[in-house]
Amino acid sequence: MTDSEKLVKLKELLLSEDREFVLQILQKLESVENTLHEETLLSEKVNPIVDKKIDTFAEEIPSKLGPTITEALKIQIRDSQDQVVEALFPIIGKMVKKYIQQEMKNLTESINNQVQNTFSIKKWQRKLKSFFTGVSEQKIILSEMAKPKVDQIFIIEKGSGLLIANVSKEEDNIDKDMIAGMLTAIKSFVEDAFTKEEQSLELIQYEFYNIYIQNLASYYVAAVISGSFNSDFKEKLEDKILDFASKHKKEKLVEDSKATTKLIESLFDD
Amino acid sequence: MINSKKIVLVGHFGVGKTSIIRRFVSNIFTDDYKVTIGVHIFKKEIEVNNTKLTFVIWDLEGKDDVEKVRKSHLIGTSGFMYVIDPTRNTTYSNIEAEVDYLKTNYPKAQLLTIANKVDLINQDVFLQEINFPVDFFTSAKTNENVEAIFTQLGLNFLNNG
Repeated sequence: MTDSEKLVKLKELLLSEDREFVLQILQKLESVENTLHEETLLSEKVNPIVDKKIDTFAEEIPSKLGPTITEALKIQIRDSQDQVVEALFPIIGKMVKKYIQQEMKNLTESINNQVQNTFSIKKWQRKLKSFFTGVSEQKIILSEMAKPKVDQIFIIEKGSGLLIANVSKEEDNIDKDMIAGMLTAIKSFVEDAFTKEEQSLELIQYEFYNIYIQNLASYYVAAVISGSFNSDFKEKLEDKILDFASKHKKEKLVEDSKATTKLIESLFDD
Repeated sequence: MINSKKIVLVGHFGVGKTSIIRRFVSNIFTDDYKVTIGVHIFKKEIEVNNTKLTFVIWDLEGKDDVEKVRKSHLIGTSGFMYVIDPTRNTTYSNIEAEVDYLKTNYPKAQLLTIANKVDLINQDVFLQEINFPVDFFTSAKTNENVEAIFTQLGLNFLNNG
């Protein structure tokens, strides 16, 4: 074997492993290059990662982007109020219109039901009333529907604001003791703030309800009224409460709250 | 027979009246200070010596002078709690006159003097400084003695008719 042949042999022995390694790397590179250039192959690998990122991003939008979006919207609305009004006006207008239409429909149905109730004594009473007064039957029904009625009565000790008794037509979860306290606090605040002479708070209005307050010597009566509260109803209620007060002193009412509750029920009568 | 009692907490602003009530009624304490405007009403039913009592608790806004509190808020009170903050001298510098005013004008009412925020002070040092009998040391933060002051008031009601 010549020297050059020996050298070749030695090279083969020394470098054969490296060559194989380089070959493997080249193959891997080729495979990566293929994956990068082949859309289907690339999407197989990348899509799950992107999907996961998008899911995480979607989950984090409210916490991460929420305040930024709200702030941006605030600025946008503030800076372009006219455009916002112009855009929202037709939508809100339609909503209001639809709501009123629905309410009118309900009202008409309710009136028709009452008119068609031929066996009712009330119907004949209404017809007679309509005949003698000249007011249409439907108008009488409308006034009946808005008729005021007492929903709830509180008898509250003056000063302390402690509840002596309460009767409610419907069950609710509101704490009556706290209402009695708050009513007393509001009442005393108004009376302190605006008293020029001996005056007291008589009426609190909120949306569809009125709270009528009748002051007596040692307690006061608060009646929650729904419907159209008018002076005629007020006078009748006032008479009833005064009559009640003349018959029942505070000490008696406090003594037996069950008996008091029964007594209060008379104030609900029409 | 109604067994409800009107309890009123009075004292300077920031002494912890609302915190005491919130701890007693809902077992809640928060560090953030929200000033009381006007009055808040709370309620809690308790049992003292097998007698059920309903406490309607009036949390009044803080005033640096008890005479400035609306009289209409104090009328009919069964029990007062005069609350001070031992870390602020101004909240108890006039305690004698303030307590005297309440006792004179509402003689039938029970009264307890309460030093709140006890977790922030050394009681012995404070007692030497105030020179006025404090009925209870409480901490709305750690819940120390909060239940006890209302129970004591309940006992006072039962013992004094």
